[in-house]
Amino acid sequence: MAGPVVHIRNLGVRLSRNFAVVIESLDICRGERLVMDAPSGAGKSTALGLVCAAIPDSGFPDRVHQINGRDVCPGLPRESFAGPEALGFVLQTNSLVPFLTAQENLRLPLQLTTQRAQPEWERHLIETLGLRRLLGHLPSALSVGQRQRVSIARALLGMPALLLLDEPVASLDPANVGKVEHLIAQLAQEAGSAVLLASHQAQSGVFSDAPRLRCDVLEHDGVHYTLFNRPVAISQRAWS
Amino acid sequence: MKLPVPLSLALRELRHEWLAALCFIAALVGVLAPLLLLLALKNGVIGAMVDRLVEDPANREIIAMGAESYDAAFFVRAEGWPETGFIMPATRRINAQASAVRNPATRALDRSVPLVPSAPGDPLIASDRGVLPGSVWLSSELASALDTTEGSEIEMLIGREVDGTRETARLPLTVLGVLPSDAYGRKAVFLSLQDLLAVEQFRDDLRLSADDLDRAESSPERYASFRLYARDLNDLQPLMNRLATEGITARPRVENVALLLGFRDNLNLLYGFIAVIAVLGFWASMVANLRGMVERQRVSLSLLRFLSMPHRSVARIPLAQSLVLVGIGVMLTLVLVLPGLVVLNTVFQAPSGDPVARLGMSDIGWVLALGALTGASAAIWAMRAAASISSEEVLRNG
Repeated sequence: MAGPVVHIRNLGVRLSRNFAVVIESLDICRGERLVMDAPSGAGKSTALGLVCAAIPDSGFPDRVHQINGRDVCPGLPRESFAGPEALGFVLQTNSLVPFLTAQENLRLPLQLTTQRAQPEWERHLIETLGLRRLLGHLPSALSVGQRQRVSIARALLGMPALLLLDEPVASLDPANVGKVEHLIAQLAQEAGSAVLLASHQAQSGVFSDAPRLRCDVLEHDGVHYTLFNRPVAISQRAWS
Repeated sequence: MKLPVPLSLALRELRHEWLAALCFIAALVGVLAPLLLLLALKNGVIGAMVDRLVEDPANREIIAMGAESYDAAFFVRAEGWPETGFIMPATRRINAQASAVRNPATRALDRSVPLVPSAPGDPLIASDRGVLPGSVWLSSELASALDTTEGSEIEMLIGREVDGTRETARLPLTVLGVLPSDAYGRKAVFLSLQDLLAVEQFRDDLRLSADDLDRAESSPERYASFRLYARDLNDLQPLMNRLATEGITARPRVENVALLLGFRDNLNLLYGFIAVIAVLGFWASMVANLRGMVERQRVSLSLLRFLSMPHRSVARIPLAQSLVLVGIGVMLTLVLVLPGLVVLNTVFQAPSGDPVARLGMSDIGWVLALGALTGASAAIWAMRAAASISSEEVLRNG
């Protein structure tokens, strides 16, 4: 598809009387990767929530929010723009439904939108992420790393246009961080997904050379703003 | 068949949280089982007892108190009153008695037997075959004393004294039937008015010989008494009022009819009250439990919203859980209560043979409908809470 997967201007939310998170400018094309590298507490998760419209914005002036070329207006049903073919999301923790097996969790986004997975792609994800023997288990029977791998498979099963990652390896032991990041990068590339990674530990590893969103903090009228911007100069770099 | 997603998720969650679900069901059975048992007892022996009291014709009888006499026009008017169930002219009490009744077959004899005038429609004789001239019904006690049964021939003896000489007329009668023991507790012959008037005429008219008794004909201008029954207990007082406007002093046979009616109404009210309180209590407990379940599932429900499950579908999860839990609870209650009723009816046999406790299909249907209604209405708060859960909560908790 021509055009950016995500096109955002002045999309922000006031979290309290004196704190707001704003994405001033963000465009990501299919296949691109981008890192949101900011200190803990700066509002990375909030910014990701704004991008996928899980967090309703505060309607700042000149607001623009498009996903896959479609305007995301306030009140628009989430299912109309955030289906598994549009967005995939990997949370830091708590991302699996506790009463469904790994396989049911894996297929849940497609089941909710009455879509079916491509069998070849599903098999490939399961094999690559080493999930075959875990499919019948409930999340409570899986380790943190295994749960994250199920979560990654679920986010990619619909071959989404945009993959959002919120500190996906933060809770893993250091020995597995590089391996999981590599798997994410590989599978996202195979799916043709753009990647937006929120992480404070992407200085090394497979995402170390990915472009960064600039994060500025300023104060205006007693309000602290965290502003995310994609510098224009690097916005056209394609992920390779 | 593939289940709808909300129902499928609701069932999976219940299976996962089976202990909480089991506690919920146990609480439902704990309320519903005693309630159903109480309903079964009310339908069974208690209800039958009260119905019998209410439906007993003796409780609907009005007795004339004064020494008036009543002409034929009064009986025509009284028969036309909507409150009248049955009215029968009667003779003076002194004449309404046979000197004796005997069974020629067994030679059994009973003296001073009351005679009760009757006719088709008599509420004491719950049969299509009412008395006819020459054919009578006997009370159970008299039939037993005479050792006679339906279809037997008996003889009624009517005595009188003429110039110091005792004369006795004999009237042969056919026994049409014997009243149940609880219909009339004393010895009596229920006979046609024509036969009773013949008896009276024989005693009063000395020109009639003993052989003329069965040929006596009489249609007096006025009757000394009557047997009167209201159509039902509620008609008793209006009927008394009508008699009062006719200048007739009367009283109901049973003094505490109002108490009896009150008992019946209060029993229904009492059961309704207990049922409403119990159902309301359980409903409130369900409301709180279902709301608590949503709170426990908050992160999961937020995740489902995050994964693009529509609000209305998320809201259907607690609704489905409520209906499933209530359905299982009602079924389990029936599985426990219905065999329990069989045991109860076997161990405690009512003297009448009626079941001590009884539940009809309509009762079970009502319980199911009420259960579904309770389950659905109790889920409203939980549904609203589930629908209001936003997708951002999982991000905050993530």
